[in-house]
Order: sequence, then C-alpha cells, then structure tokens
Amino acid sequence: MKTAANILGDALFATGYEVQDAPRYGAERRGAPMFAYVRAADRTIVERGAIVTPDLVVVADAGLLGIPAAGVMQGASEATWLFVNSTEPAQAIRAQWRYPGQVVSWPAGFTPPAMHNAAATSASCAGAAARMLGVIARETFESALIAQSTGRSAGAIETTRSQGLAAFDAMGGVDRCVPEGGEHPATPPASPDWIELGADDAALAAPDIYAQATSEQARTGLWRSHRPVIDYEHCNRCSWVCSTLCPDSAIRVDEDRTPRIHYDHCKGCMVCVLVCPAHAIRQVSEQAAQAQEIEP
Amino acid sequence: MSRLLMTGNAAAAWGARLAGVEYVPAFPITPQTEIIEMLAGWCERGEMSARLTMYESEHSMVTGAASAAATGVRTFTATSSQGLLYAMEMVFAAPGWRAPFVLVNVSRALASPITLEPDHTDVLAARDSGFIQIHCATCQEVLDSVLIAYRLAEHPRVRLPVLVNQDGFHLSFTREPVDLPEEARVRAFLPPFDAHQAGFRASRPVSQVVAVLGGSPYSYFRYQVHLAQREALDVYDELAAEFAAAFGRHHGAIETYRCDDAEVVFVLIGSLAGQAKQAADRLREAGLKVGVVRPRLLRPYPASALRAALRGKQAVAVVDQNLSMGSGGVLYAELAGALQGCEYMPLLVSFIGGLGGRDIGDAEFFAMANEARDAARRREVPEPRLLYTARELRELRKLQAIAGTGGVQEETR
Amino acid sequence: MSEQPYKSLKDLPRSHALSPGTAMCAGCGGLEALHEALDVLGRKTVVVNAAGCMTLLANYPYTPFHGSWLYTSMASAPAGAQGVRDALDILRDRGRLADTDDLTAVVLTGDGSAYGMGLSATSAAIERGLDFIYLCYDNEGYGNTGQQSSAATPHAAKTSTSAGTQGYAGEKKDLFAVWAAHKPSYVATVIGADPLDLARKVQRAAALKGPRLILALAPCPTGWDFDPGDTVEIGRLAVKTGIWPLKEYADGRIVHTRVPNPRVPVEEYLTRQGRFRHLFEPERNDALIAAIQARVDRYWDDVG
Repeated sequence: MKTAANILGDALFATGYEVQDAPRYGAERRGAPMFAYVRAADRTIVERGAIVTPDLVVVADAGLLGIPAAGVMQGASEATWLFVNSTEPAQAIRAQWRYPGQVVSWPAGFTPPAMHNAAATSASCAGAAARMLGVIARETFESALIAQSTGRSAGAIETTRSQGLAAFDAMGGVDRCVPEGGEHPATPPASPDWIELGADDAALAAPDIYAQATSEQARTGLWRSHRPVIDYEHCNRCSWVCSTLCPDSAIRVDEDRTPRIHYDHCKGCMVCVLVCPAHAIRQVSEQAAQAQEIEP
Repeated sequence: MSRLLMTGNAAAAWGARLAGVEYVPAFPITPQTEIIEMLAGWCERGEMSARLTMYESEHSMVTGAASAAATGVRTFTATSSQGLLYAMEMVFAAPGWRAPFVLVNVSRALASPITLEPDHTDVLAARDSGFIQIHCATCQEVLDSVLIAYRLAEHPRVRLPVLVNQDGFHLSFTREPVDLPEEARVRAFLPPFDAHQAGFRASRPVSQVVAVLGGSPYSYFRYQVHLAQREALDVYDELAAEFAAAFGRHHGAIETYRCDDAEVVFVLIGSLAGQAKQAADRLREAGLKVGVVRPRLLRPYPASALRAALRGKQAVAVVDQNLSMGSGGVLYAELAGALQGCEYMPLLVSFIGGLGGRDIGDAEFFAMANEARDAARRREVPEPRLLYTARELRELRKLQAIAGTGGVQEETR
Repeated sequence: MSEQPYKSLKDLPRSHALSPGTAMCAGCGGLEALHEALDVLGRKTVVVNAAGCMTLLANYPYTPFHGSWLYTSMASAPAGAQGVRDALDILRDRGRLADTDDLTAVVLTGDGSAYGMGLSATSAAIERGLDFIYLCYDNEGYGNTGQQSSAATPHAAKTSTSAGTQGYAGEKKDLFAVWAAHKPSYVATVIGADPLDLARKVQRAAALKGPRLILALAPCPTGWDFDPGDTVEIGRLAVKTGIWPLKEYADGRIVHTRVPNPRVPVEEYLTRQGRFRHLFEPERNDALIAAIQARVDRYWDDVG
C-alpha cells in the first residue's frame, strides 16, 4: 500500500498539486495489515500524520473489512467514498458491512491481479483511486507507475504499468466521483480533556508485563490472505512436523495427536503446507474460507 | 564512629561498604579507579561480603548494574568522564527499568582535547537521563550521600537509580577528615534492600523493559519517571532530616551560606563551593554582602528551594564549571528558567569557569561579585564571561609557538 | 526439559514454550529456531535480548513468553545476562532464592549484535566463564532495518547496502570459530529446518554449565527475498549444499552432526533467493557462482 500511495502521490504532484504521502508502520513486519495516506491540495499542506476524515478509503485486502480491529472504516462517514479491491458488486459490499457512504468495487468483467502480487495490486488500486479522483491525466498516471517501478526488472515494470492502466481504464464509469474535501468546520474543536497525570507505583509505571503469554490476544491471523486447511482424512497424525516447524507456534497438537491450526494467530506463511509429509494441508484463499464460515 | 583522613574515592568506597552493597560491576577509569580497587581488595579479603565483577566497558558495566538491580540485589558502580559517556545509552535506559542502584561519578572534563582534570560537562550530559543526581562538595558528603542515595533509590515512591557526583582530584584524590559511621547505625538508617515483588524468579515470570507502540503509552512511561523524580524531592527532604537525626549532619537539597542578608549570591555546584564561601567571607570584610547557594540535588531540580533562597537578592553570579556549546552555562539557563515569572527575583549573570580543572582564585570571585552587583545596578544583563586572563592567553601562545602554527600567519592570529 | 536424549523426531516436545501472536514476519526462520530451542529449554529461563528483529517479540502489553524477558541494548545483552546471573547467584548464596526459583540466562540476539556490536561484550562474558546460553538468530544482515549488510552477510549476497551486480564484497565472519577460540563449554550451529539436530544440541547445551552458543541460521523471507512458505526448504538446502555446516564444539573437539553426502550444488540454494538473483539474471555470473561453490568445497575438503 505504500507503493500505491507513492504512485498516487507522484501522479497528483505531477498534475500540479501539493502532495503529502506517508506509510504508517506498526511493530509488525511484512505481511501485517498496513496503512498509507495521501493528501493533495492546491496550497501548502501543513497538516501531518493520519488522516482523520478521509474523502476516499482504498481497501486492497477486502478480508480486512470484516475485522473491526483492522480499523478500515475508521473516520468514514456518509461523505467518504470506499473503494474495495473486489469483484463483488459494490452494493452487496455496502449492504454486508453497512457502510454509511458510497462504495465502489471493480466493474463486472474486470479481473484484478492476484492479491499475492503486491506490486500489481498496488498499481491497480492506485489506478482505481486515480480515476475516482478524476484529476489525473492517463499519461501522468502512466509516468507515475513507471517511476515507482524504478530498479525492477523490465517484466515487472511492464506488469505494473499494464495493470495500473487497465484499472485506470476500467474505472471510467466512476470518473471523478470523489469530490474535493471541504474546509475544516468553523466551530472550534472540543476540549482535549487534559488530566493531571499522577505518579503510579513503580511496578505499574514501568513497561513490564507480569502476565504470561499475552501475545495470544494479538490477532496476527489478520495478516493472512490465504490460510492452510488440514484435511484430517489424510493427516497421518505424525504429531510433530507441522507443529514443530510452524515458526509461530500456531499449530498445537491435541492429546490424540491431532494438529489444530489456531487461525487467530496463523499468519498464512504456508510452511506447514509445504512440509506436511502426507500432503494433507492445502492452501485456501482467506476470502473463500471466510465466506464458507459465514455461509457453511 | 571514627574520624579518619580519607580521599573522596575512599569515602565513596566506604559508603558502598557500609551500605551493605552486594554487587559491584566495575571498570577502571581515571580518576575513579581507586574506588573499585578498594572495593575489590575488601571483597577479596572477605572484609566486604559482595561480589565484584570486572566488565569490559562502562556500557556493559551499567547494563550489568541495572540487570542485577532489576533481579533484586543492592548494586553499586562507579565511573568517570569518557566512561560515563560510553555508558550513556544505558544511563538513559536504566531509569525506565525502575531498578534502584547507585553510581558514583567522579567528574572529569571531556575530550576533545582529552584531559584528566575536572569539570562538570560529563555529569551534566547525563542530566536528562532520569538518574537522580546528588552533587558533593566534601569527602564527608560523598560518603553520606551514598548512604542517603540508597534510601532514596529504593524508596517505594521513587525506585530510580541515583548518581552521586564528586569532583576529580579536588575530592577524589584529596584526603581530608571524614567521620566513618558505625555499621550498626548505618544498618538502622539503611536496612537491607527490599525488592518487593521485583526480580526474575521461575515462579514469578515477568517481561521487563518491553517496547511500546506509539507516543501515548511512551508519554505515560517516560512521564512516570519524571513524576517519580518529583516525588523524590519530598522524599529527599525527609531522608535528609532522618539522616541528620541519626548522624548529626544535615545535607539539604540545597546548601545556603550567609544568604539571609546577602545582596549578591554565587550559585554553583561541587567542591568549588568551598572557594566561593571563603571569597564570600572576604567580600563581606570588604563591604559587599555576599552569600553562596549550592544545589546538592540537581535532579530532581530543587526549583522552589532556589526561588526561596534567591528571592529579594540584587544579583546572582552563576559559576558554571561546564559548557553547553552554543548556549553557555547549563546551571545559568536552568536557574533562569526556574526564576522566570517570579517577583523580586535577582538579575542573573553568567560566568564559565574552572573548565578542565582550571583554578578560580579569590580575585576572580571578587571580580565576579562586583560585575554582578554593577550589572544589577545598571539593570543590564551582560554577556556570559569565560574566566580567562591575558596572562593565560600569552602562555597559550607560547605553547602554540612550540606546536607550530599550522600555516596560520602571525598577524592573523 | 526431557532428561532422555532425543532419539527421534517423535521424542521432540509437543507443547510450545513460546506463544503465537508476535510481530515477527510470516515464515520467520529465526522465530522457528527460537521456539524449537525454548520448547527444549522450558520456561525456567530469562531471555536477555539485544536490539534486533526480536526486540519486538514483546511489545506492551503483549509477550509470547511463559518465562521471563529483559531487553537491554544492541551491544550489551551478554552484560545484562552477567548482571542477572551474578544477582541470582548472590540471592541463592544468601538464601533469598530457592533452587526451584533459579533461571537459565539466555541471551537472544541477531547477527548484527552477535557478529558485530555485541562481540566485545560476548567475548568478555565468555572469558569470565559466564554461565549462560547465547542464542543467535543469524539472518545474515541487519534485518530489522531492511537488510543492510552485516558481518554475517555471505559473499555476493544482495543487501540494501550492497545492491550492485557483485553483491556484498566481504566474507561472512566465522562466529563459530571466534567462539571456539575462546574455549567455551559448548558451541553449535543449528537450523530450524532440522528440529531434531537442534533439539539435541540445545539439550546438550542445557546440561552443561558456562558459556554456550547456539548459532541458528535464520532463513529470512523478507531479507533474503523468498516466499515465506519456503523457509524450511531453504534451510534444508543450506545444509544439503554444505553452505551451513551443522556442527558442535565441546571439550576442544569439533564434530559435524550432519555431513551432506553427496552435496547438492550451491546453485540450488542460491536460485531460490532473490538476494542472489543477480548471479543468474540478466546474465549468469559463472565466476561468482563457482567461487561460492569452491569456498564450500574447500571447507568440506579441509574438515575431511
């Protein structure tokens, strides 16, 4: 998503806007959900940091919509447009997640790149966003796609270019649908509710964790785009291979030697799929798996 | 109680021994080395029941000290100058661990150029670390301060490491009479370390000193160290009173000398205060009412005590034995901040002196007092002044002539 | 910890001493080795950590540990272990620590610390005879900051500071030899992809006292540029090609615990990783590939 933001930033800047784009990193490493922001204006941008009230939200991984902790809808109102990297009809997405504003997804017949192709996904999401803003010329956007692929192989540059432009072209139906954001409201902001911080006991006031294994409350399962699924008919109950080699200790073995994948934590690395001696673990797209969970 | 001649270094070592220190991470550096040599000798001969471990650097030494304190033993360590700077990453990290231990720093001026003699730029570099700082002016104070420092560090409302500072040479290598308190009376004042529930135990796992994400939890944890320091101001006063009751010596957060009726006051830290007091006596004989204020606690900063002591004075000469490049004296800037907005506050005049162990004599104290008084009369704040004489520059030029001028022409010098 | 030596994979621990939910990358070979080692060591450990990828194993208020953890700094984790160990000894000697409450001090660092910034503190801890286990996850670069070259980076590897056609010009430092030269109690190389070999070595180390190193090659999907699922396969290839010899040092002797025979050509290992792609694209760099192969061959010729 950082690349998508950079492409959009480059294109808006080349169009003549003042631009600010930035990724937002957490502790998590590659594979974890991440955000990036783009601001564009016809004057110097003095605001910084996260965008509190976005005009357009672009969601590259539709799987995140169902997860409140991912915070995809944060700050969205009736006035916020939502683009979802999905071939599902926009109205269905809007209804399913009770989204307050307008929703756009890929038009019927358009095939977006596979999610695991991060560069192509970034390019196509940037293409959709660029067209929805409607202020970026096709050639300008093309230059931005190429500029952001610098240093990659000729094939990779071409993939990025063609995927980005295909998305840009496919979104003609929603050209310039996102209006420019308004000024800040004239009313002064509410009081920040400051308090006088008091000294706490040193044990509490140190960054120490007294409880054990609290990381189990961190749902790294959100990182997945695909999930491993054990076919218990073929699992030979070897009792250790997948569980030992899983980097994250996310596979536990029951008393009866049956391995159980903890989907709250499985990051979807697929090590288990590749090492299972019985080939009893297969890779399933997360969206499909979730859909199955909802409508079994 | 016996009265003995001892150096500041010996006083620091005796402080650690009497405090019942159990662990001493050590690394040598001039002028501190004597402290760890004494402690090592006592440990070796069984006169002190502690373990001394030689580390390979001050950075490791302070890591080891904080780690041992976090595990629940009473820990003492010492360093100086470049060593303090080499340890600086851990000096800033340790207070956040909320693990109490005592570090004696023997102040020595910093490179470059490298030198062995004292000033306070080393210890002031640690000013914002979260360590409590106690600055000593006599060898007695060094010993007493180590004892008070453990009570303060281990106090449930504080739980922070404490740095006890003494000047290299002027204290560290200077013998003077020191009252050596009896061990039993020290133990009554300073019982063994009670780590409460802190420390690593198989039955009580803990993840200590973990990362935080974002400015909000970070602000909380950092500000808690600040708040613990503010708590330490009150705790310190209580402990100083308790120490005075037990041993008959009162070491307040600030020391004031002939201040009540003073028109001009010297503000300075460390052993140079003795010189200032002597000058104050002579200036009074010459007709100018001069006093001395010496902060012993520099962190937490005793702002209200300083305001009370300086209110109504005409002028203050701040003598900074340190230099914040591009700004000037650190004590001066801090004092100006503390007095800002208060009524009946004196005019502050800044002097930089005593860098790298340069002496400051009576004549210079006289001149500083007069300049400060005159400035107050004119109501003009003069530029900060470096105490440096024409004779010194002439002597320096002779050295430069020997060293060669590096191509600089005589007339442009 | 099991008292019986691990004879087969079936004997390996089935419960995990490290919980999931950490911030490590998907497919992290270092985390794989760490959890396999901790599964053997058990929960009576205090992990003393240096700055590196694993700094963020614990981030407030989340910790994967059932035992204890202390973060120190990049350079001084062994000194932290020294302070903790000395303090535990003092407490035990004075009757303030029950034997059952004692802990094994485990230093955990990446290669940046182990091969570079922390080496002075490590050397000193070994020479003091510190009773500790040092676990290094070696992903051959400063992975936490985006894989710049470190003293552990192999010759010709591309990193973000050696991105030219020849890759990294230096040679990977032989940390095993550096440790062994100190004559410590135990030194071993391991890899998460061979859990039995790893478990046996950790078990052997745990039974000894004094300074002990477990040096784990840590295949790194992000830093080495491969698909996260390939972590184990790349680890196995590192062993099969002879690039990562699995060996141990004890009592002055070095023993190879796995001898790849016949050795798979290094090319099979190199082609699987983006960091070596420049050796094959746009043109094959036969000279450099041959040099890497020759170095591996020479190693195995020398050990006989």
